[in-house]
Amino acid sequence: MAVKIRLKRLGQKKAPFYRIIVSDSRTPRDGRFIEEIGTYDPTRDPSVFNINEEAAKKWLSNGAQPTETVGKLFKNAGITK
Amino acid sequence: MSVTNSSIHTEVINTDDKLKEIVELSILFDFYGELLKEHNKQIFEDYILNDLSLSEIADQKGISRQGVYDIVKRCSKQLKEYEEKLNLIKEFNETKEKVNHIKEIAKQLIEFSSPKEEKEINQLNEIIEITNEILEEL
Repeated sequence: MAVKIRLKRLGQKKAPFYRIIVSDSRTPRDGRFIEEIGTYDPTRDPSVFNINEEAAKKWLSNGAQPTETVGKLFKNAGITK
Repeated sequence: MSVTNSSIHTEVINTDDKLKEIVELSILFDFYGELLKEHNKQIFEDYILNDLSLSEIADQKGISRQGVYDIVKRCSKQLKEYEEKLNLIKEFNETKEKVNHIKEIAKQLIEFSSPKEEKEINQLNEIIEITNEILEEL
């Protein structure tokens, strides 16, 4: 099973807020996900990124693929190089 | 899965351009998304709001990766043009800022008023309540 780590947009209309979720790449549209490992709030200045580092590292070492955007957040937070 | 609080890592980050662009496009979508064609709307939503890759969307929809890319580009352009013409986001932000300012002033006035001025305090609380209503309905 290919597993992805992606952003999922939530929040009220006009007030974006994101979850960082781990999900099966084959069922991305139905909203189900395996685990939530963080949040990203771009409405604050500067934006705030919360991540369960342990879980993120565990999933990465198990071969989960972060999307380009999540990859950038991880890099900024020093989780990946 | 248990999550220990100690491992939560909070980071204040400098948003890079790609991420900024995605957030901006998702706000444009909040305001003008209903004006996109249903098929394009779904693709744009998957790419911008659900963070799927171009190839994942292409596989699901049975179209080429290039086709998905073109639709996302076209939709982005369309949404930006709506904002240029209608300015709804700009006005939304300006109104929000002004109403928040009113609220702050009312809060300060309450803080510095003496307890005797009960009537004034009630009126100020009423102002704060109205600003909250406006902010919620914006």
